[in-house]
Amino acid sequence: MDMNAIEIEGISKSYGSVQALRDISLQVRCGEIFGLIGPDGAGKTTLFRIMTTLMLPDAGRGRVSGLDIVEDFALIRRTIGYMPGRFSLYQDLTVRENLEYFATLFGTTVRDNYENIKEIYSQIEPFGDRRAGKLSGGMKQKLALCCALVHRPSVLFLDEPTTGVDAVSRKDFWNMLARIKASGVTIFVSTPYMDEAALCDRLALIRDGVIIGAGTPREIVSGFPFRLLSVKGDRMYRLLKVLRDTDGVISCFSFGDSHHLTYDPAKTDREKILGILTEAGFGGCIVKEIEPGIEDCFMWLSKR
Amino acid sequence: MWKYLLEKEFKQFFRDPGLPRMSLMFPVLMMLVFPFAVSMEIRNINLAVVDSSRSEESSRLIEKCISSGYFRLVSVCGSPDEAMRLMDDNKADAILTVGSDFSRDMETGDGLPVGVKVNTVNGTKGSISAQYLQNCIRMYMSGRNDSGTAGMPGIDVTERYYFNSYMDYKLFMIPALIVIGITMITAFLPAMNIVSEKETGTIEQMNVTPVSKSAFIICKMVPYWTVAFFVLTACLLLAWAVFGFVCRGNALWLYLYTTLDIIVMAGLGLLISNYSSNTQQAMFVIWFFAVIFMLMSGIFTPIASMPEWAQAITYLNPMRYYADAIRAVYIKGSTPLDVWYDAAGLAAIGAVMVGWAIASYRKSS
Repeated sequence: MDMNAIEIEGISKSYGSVQALRDISLQVRCGEIFGLIGPDGAGKTTLFRIMTTLMLPDAGRGRVSGLDIVEDFALIRRTIGYMPGRFSLYQDLTVRENLEYFATLFGTTVRDNYENIKEIYSQIEPFGDRRAGKLSGGMKQKLALCCALVHRPSVLFLDEPTTGVDAVSRKDFWNMLARIKASGVTIFVSTPYMDEAALCDRLALIRDGVIIGAGTPREIVSGFPFRLLSVKGDRMYRLLKVLRDTDGVISCFSFGDSHHLTYDPAKTDREKILGILTEAGFGGCIVKEIEPGIEDCFMWLSKR
Repeated sequence: MWKYLLEKEFKQFFRDPGLPRMSLMFPVLMMLVFPFAVSMEIRNINLAVVDSSRSEESSRLIEKCISSGYFRLVSVCGSPDEAMRLMDDNKADAILTVGSDFSRDMETGDGLPVGVKVNTVNGTKGSISAQYLQNCIRMYMSGRNDSGTAGMPGIDVTERYYFNSYMDYKLFMIPALIVIGITMITAFLPAMNIVSEKETGTIEQMNVTPVSKSAFIICKMVPYWTVAFFVLTACLLLAWAVFGFVCRGNALWLYLYTTLDIIVMAGLGLLISNYSSNTQQAMFVIWFFAVIFMLMSGIFTPIASMPEWAQAITYLNPMRYYADAIRAVYIKGSTPLDVWYDAAGLAAIGAVMVGWAIASYRKSS
């Protein structure tokens, strides 16, 4: 299977005078977890709505599972699962009724697909008669995932599934995604949390409707041209000022109990900075090289 | 698939904390409470009398007025100013002034020594009070003439009310109330329902399923149509059981016109839901239409007495046609042949509404 699960090219969309998406192109391979990372308002949901046939793009073409997102919309709807960012199942129907309802709409039954959702559904099955509106946040999320999976979709679209979910549940959720992926489903997921980016096979960074970077997390991090230092010492505020004035330093921010400093390796290095600090009377500083994260890359890419 | 969609809508309908109870209470309230509340029969009009004549004749006239049952004597004042003050203080709705030459003038038949003043802050009440008072005076005069001596040649006018022999306001209002109820249920409740699905985002989830939009919308409306026919039937039965009113015409025509109205209202409901993105917006639009529909339908005030530009507007009001048809069938016993224009009006508005609604619904996707 070397066919791509999702291929989009040159997608643009405006709402009135606001351009939400600008010339977006992406390829998602079959069976991978692809992350769309970006802050609120970057255009993630708009892109989701176009890919899930809920909205027409102004320009550009796209295929999901080899089907055109405009012409074959009816067929795409049978082959994808979509979980919108907001919990949008019927709150006044019970857990079981919701699941059965969505199974029926896709012309199948819960029993036929029980194996497919068993792992997740078994966790909420004891509450089968409870109305969906009365479930806790984590359980709602599991129910929504079950409903999106009940018809054995080949591509699963998850729009900010972990927004507003606690850290433990988020970890749980990513474990579930890994297992869904193992069953052969391609997963397209968006998130505003940079720490989740590392859990994706490949990702795209989006900002103001433009893709500013794409690739595996490793590729993105290795594209970062600067180096990072963590600096810790006495008189932190004065230290920050001195570091910012140092030649070759791109930026410096306080980060917890230390300062994170970005420098251009062409102009300076760790030894030089240490020397400058000692000269300025900041002897005994702990200066460590650190690995840049996706967030650092995102910041840099979005400034470029 | 349709079966499940419908099953889900009915389930949600019956699980709603308000809707099932409301659809039961609606006909009961409409038939047992509103006919009395919206009655235009005016009673208990506070009457002040200025009797300058203080004769036997004048006291008999006053007695005649009071005994009609419509008036309540507040006070017999000595001067017109005193009576005016009572009206200013809102203690009197009408003033009857009897001139000092009353009994003499009655004998000669010169002039009219009786004055009537009414408070028309409430216009309807005022004009009806004036009419009642004049009736009483006329009755007194003719009564005097019958037994009288040098009587005037009185013209004897008798009125006969066709189709509603006792001018019973309830009989007039019951079909109108049915019209209002059905319109509310079939236009505004489904609109609210669709908009609330928009608000919660469930409509999004529905749209990514293979279910067609039209199937989804029709299944959403069916429960309300069922309720509408239930309410219509319940109202007819209650009107018969409580007031003894029966539909003069074939009740089948009521159902026929109701079906037509439902189609128009389904279009309107869908239109409203297409153009509003949250229930608050929808509520406001609904409120706007509800008021216009009711006030410009001829239900409360006759269309013929509106200015021409207002009459022109009523031609765009589906409730005008529906109310007219239901009243004609219920009170007069008309058939669709007699009120074919109402059917034509509803059909024309319905075609436009439904067409527009479908077009805008497609576009919004």
